[in-house]
Amino acid sequence: MSLEMKHVFYTYQEGSPTESHALQDICLNINEGEFLGIVGHTGSGKSTLIQHLNGLLKPTKGEVLIDGININQKEAKAKRKEVRLKVGLVFQYPEYQLFEETVEQDIGFGPRNLGLSDTEVQERVKEAMALLKLDYKTLRKQSPFDLSGGQKRKVAIAGVLAMKPKYLVLDEPTAGLDPRGREEFLEQLAVLHRQGMTIIMVSHSMDDMAKYAQRMIVMDHGQIQLQGTPQDIFSQPEQLQQIGLDVPSLSRLLLRLKQRGLDVRTDLFDIEAVKTEILRAMAAREGKLTC
Amino acid sequence: MLKDITIGQYLSGDSFLHKLDPRTKIIAVILYMVSLFIVNNFWGLGAMLVLSLAVVLISRIPLRFFFRGIKAIVFIVLLTVALQMFMTPGEPLWELGILKITKEGIRQAVFMGTRLILLVSVTSILTLTTTPISLTDGIETLLKPFQKIGVPAHELAMMMTIALRFIPTLIEETDKIMKAQSARGADFESGNLMERAKAMIPLLVPLFLNAIKRADELALAMEARCYHGGDGRTRLKALQYGRRDAVAGVFCLCMAAGAFLTRLL
Repeated sequence: MSLEMKHVFYTYQEGSPTESHALQDICLNINEGEFLGIVGHTGSGKSTLIQHLNGLLKPTKGEVLIDGININQKEAKAKRKEVRLKVGLVFQYPEYQLFEETVEQDIGFGPRNLGLSDTEVQERVKEAMALLKLDYKTLRKQSPFDLSGGQKRKVAIAGVLAMKPKYLVLDEPTAGLDPRGREEFLEQLAVLHRQGMTIIMVSHSMDDMAKYAQRMIVMDHGQIQLQGTPQDIFSQPEQLQQIGLDVPSLSRLLLRLKQRGLDVRTDLFDIEAVKTEILRAMAAREGKLTC
Repeated sequence: MLKDITIGQYLSGDSFLHKLDPRTKIIAVILYMVSLFIVNNFWGLGAMLVLSLAVVLISRIPLRFFFRGIKAIVFIVLLTVALQMFMTPGEPLWELGILKITKEGIRQAVFMGTRLILLVSVTSILTLTTTPISLTDGIETLLKPFQKIGVPAHELAMMMTIALRFIPTLIEETDKIMKAQSARGADFESGNLMERAKAMIPLLVPLFLNAIKRADELALAMEARCYHGGDGRTRLKALQYGRRDAVAGVFCLCMAAGAFLTRLL
């Protein structure tokens, strides 16, 4: 089972003078259990793409298959709920969508819409809060508007997790979080991924991508320009720079060292591995010099 | 669907009307509206119709924009026409039970229907050929003399400018929140009236919260740039009357005088 996009085109305001082609001939296959990263600068079509993954937008041309369900067909209307159930979508700044009186009610909004019983809803809320390390007992009766920014964000994401989606799509989930909140959140996301959830994340941070994504796509002008593992992608720094993107900071360091004549590998993204590699290369050079 | 809303839409261009001073245009529209209601015979009404058609042509704005604007008021026009037709007492032409159409009724219906349509098309020409900013500038200067009797001219104009500025932002935001809530299974499209009203809560609460927050931030940003109301404020683009304003003004006065004359004759 997978998410599939076949030659998808999407045009905003078709036929009017302001029409813009947000997606052009997108072909993409997302397998179950994957951690896919999507990068690209503002206006490259990332957000449009992910809204196709749960049927919020329907392609102008082409097909989107969600576990085999074609969202473009008329009959799919009845299956819309099923699709929304499978794919959880977390928008940018999701904390702006909180509205209930208490944290518990807000997280329970999705499950209640699914028509679950009160006890089931409560179970789901507890589970979702536990996944994001939110304390159920102390927070459940609080107003979501009294929480800190980072906690609001977590509550909003818990609201999506409580629907128990098979695929979780996040649009820049760490934007505006402090460095520690960011790190914590991504770690929790990695845990969810290890537990078997498929994760699709849009991000501007190449460092995060290098660390967490298994596969990446790079978007520009509504098209997929590059596709592959982070190693593949970041070994083409010229192409990335042409699109206006950069490589992770560690890769930048290794590339500069190589330019200066130090013989290092440039396909490492883990800080420990990079440290060992630099030390090794320096030791090798020292060795050469002393000989 | 939400993006189709076009309140106070402006279409850029460089026609005679686009270049007129906003004050001239506002006064012209007021004079036109007054004349429209003074005129009480078919010749006069016909002249007003021809006049508005001429103005539409001069503005060089595609006709479909007017039809779109008129489409929005079709229901009100039909209701007015029907009410006038059946409710005006007079010489009956056709009768069925309590319903009867009178000669005076038909006359009234034609007058009111035409007046409504002309009213809407002329005011939409005003907004289509004037940027919101110059429109509020014009209103502000026109209201200035009334400041002495306590009309807050500058504040009113500023409020209008800000309101117009945030219409697209709010529409965009509504769209976004709607999407986010439907991703959580909210249903805005089905159910009876009560259910639909209830379904609006997850949309309206965040929308209002964000709007209030944004208003706060805007106030802060304005104060940070030393905004303190209208006193002593100068403009980058001061409004200035030109020769074409004189032409348009004289023309409008003639129109109003003509309207008065049709009453006398």
